[in-house]
Amino acid sequence: MAGKSGRTISNVPEKSWRKTLLSWEGILVIVFIAVCIFCMTISPYFTVANVFREMPKYLTEIFLMLPMAYILILGEIDISVGSTVCLAATMACMASNAQTPFVVTIIVSLLVGTLCGLVNGLILTNFTELPPMIVTLSTQIIYRGIAEIALGSGGSVVLSDTAGFKAIGQKLGIIPYIFFLVVILAVIFTVILAKTTFGRSVYAIGSNRLAAYYAGIPVQKYRLIIYTITGLMAGLAGLFMVSVTYGANTTTGDGFEMDAIAMAVFGGISSTGGKGSLIGGIISGFVIIFLRIGLGQINMNSQLILLIIGVLLILAVMLPNIMSRIQAKRKTASVK
Amino acid sequence: MKKKMLSVLLCSVMAASLLAGCGSSSSSEDSTSDGSSSSSSDTYTMAFVSKSAGNPYNEKEAEGFQEIVEAEGYECIIQHPEEATAEAQITVINSLISQGVDSITVAANDENALQSVLEEAMAAGIQVSCMDSKTNADSRAVFVNQAGITEIGQTLMDAVYDITGGSGQFAILSATSQATNQNAWIEAMQEVMDSDSKYADLELVEIAYGDDESQKSTDQTQALLSKYPDLKLICAPTTVGINAAAKVLQDEGSSVKLTGLGLPSEMAEYIGDDDEHSCPYMFLWNPEELGELAAYTAIALVNGDITGAEGETFTAGDTEYTITDAGDGGTEIILGPPFEFNEDNIDEWKDVY
Repeated sequence: MAGKSGRTISNVPEKSWRKTLLSWEGILVIVFIAVCIFCMTISPYFTVANVFREMPKYLTEIFLMLPMAYILILGEIDISVGSTVCLAATMACMASNAQTPFVVTIIVSLLVGTLCGLVNGLILTNFTELPPMIVTLSTQIIYRGIAEIALGSGGSVVLSDTAGFKAIGQKLGIIPYIFFLVVILAVIFTVILAKTTFGRSVYAIGSNRLAAYYAGIPVQKYRLIIYTITGLMAGLAGLFMVSVTYGANTTTGDGFEMDAIAMAVFGGISSTGGKGSLIGGIISGFVIIFLRIGLGQINMNSQLILLIIGVLLILAVMLPNIMSRIQAKRKTASVK
Repeated sequence: MKKKMLSVLLCSVMAASLLAGCGSSSSSEDSTSDGSSSSSSDTYTMAFVSKSAGNPYNEKEAEGFQEIVEAEGYECIIQHPEEATAEAQITVINSLISQGVDSITVAANDENALQSVLEEAMAAGIQVSCMDSKTNADSRAVFVNQAGITEIGQTLMDAVYDITGGSGQFAILSATSQATNQNAWIEAMQEVMDSDSKYADLELVEIAYGDDESQKSTDQTQALLSKYPDLKLICAPTTVGINAAAKVLQDEGSSVKLTGLGLPSEMAEYIGDDDEHSCPYMFLWNPEELGELAAYTAIALVNGDITGAEGETFTAGDTEYTITDAGDGGTEIILGPPFEFNEDNIDEWKDVY
């Protein structure tokens, strides 16, 4: 199963153009263009201005997808990020309502996120035998629980002064600020993963943690860093969610972790670890965003949209396996 | 090296597709404006955004809305968000702004979270009103209210007083903890309780939240029963909650009674004033009529007959309605007092809605 999908990064040398096009990223680019054309055909409202206007809410999920890709490549998972978004958003609103300068509000949001990530990381690196799924499931409940207690019986907090959050929700022309931030972060995360020793170590840990350890990679240190950064990004996502909703409530960030994982997996990042690239994750993130915007504009039933995305996702996961099976069959046939 | 080439290729493709998008978008805009001017130059599009899908009460509201909008010769868009959250509604409303609809009527999942997107809608020239569950005063022209909050609080407290015989423990089973209408009604009930000493022997032991999900409401009902053995009554001012609670109480043959706000069609088998039935009587307005009134309101707003200011009047069907102060800085239109469903009239209503 492993390595035959064409989604590995190990086949970097001697890659022909044909291979590049047939790689998962190549296919995704074609899918991306197809989705753009498809959306423009079905919806007359699918214009650049409208897409940018509808995008900010979805872009917060890209914030989460970027570090999530690292975690998935480690062969692990973090399902607490949605709750971290909720807690960070709640605390940011409360800080803002306490009449602190907006810079402090930003710091509070990022700090709360980072702390949540750090707690995940500390538990997972100090008790390495614990499965990340269960640990982050627990912290998911804990973080949202803390947020719910802080929110009190009303279940929501409203900004008394929206000026600061309005400012970060502004646009440069038709492009919202958050888009530039996403582009910058996407480049940083992609370059680190693909070009640095740290990035290569992540793949090594995901492929074989023990081997990576014996090769002298500080496995636990790297895991701690990645989980903490994930928390930081969730804090950032929380900050921008507040700029969309001018407040926070108990359902803020609900389901974001799954959307982020879906984007990454659709981008060819294997949840079993060691495989995939962020370029794929980013393109697939935009494929999903554009599909949702386009289908939303023709007023398609939102449950049907979820269903379509679900089907695409399972196809995306199955396709490499099917292809490698066909290839294997062909090989045995040619041998005969 | 190849990797670099791949990324260059990707960047250029993305840039190209963006440019292509620019080019074709302007052309497609032209074509739509041509198309709409020929086919529907003076046809307005009215959009309705419900709380979530799979909620029969919301669907009745939507039906009433759609019926009137189409009967009056306008286009109607009904949208059910994927979840009962403000975030899901923001997505839907954003899309409606892109489509350039003329009015948006929303049953809000959160009073304040929709403000930024609804302000954007209003800035784009869209008439925004809400119904059933309101948004804050800054993000609406007018609120179409099913019944005055105090009227509902009073009606429900009277029912609690009547069924319990004036003393004992009762609990409230609500929807989500941030549902604006639920919270307002519960608050009104508590105010009524505090205002008159005749309610002094009644004790509100807990407000449980079933999140308008059948399973969760069932769990919450069972939890209430085991936590408070002396409980006499559950008041569920939500259609999903009352239905789930009615089933639990009747199946277990519990002596705990039930009242609240519910749909007659779902509650018919539980309504009756004897030991075999869990709910002696309950209340509701007609959601279809509420949807209809919301539709008339949206039409009046789009046509410029009203602006949503206090004191304005308009005719919906045969009835004249007056816009009044909502007490939150905004204005509202009240449909009427809630209607009582009991064993005498449930049979004629259960097939209606």
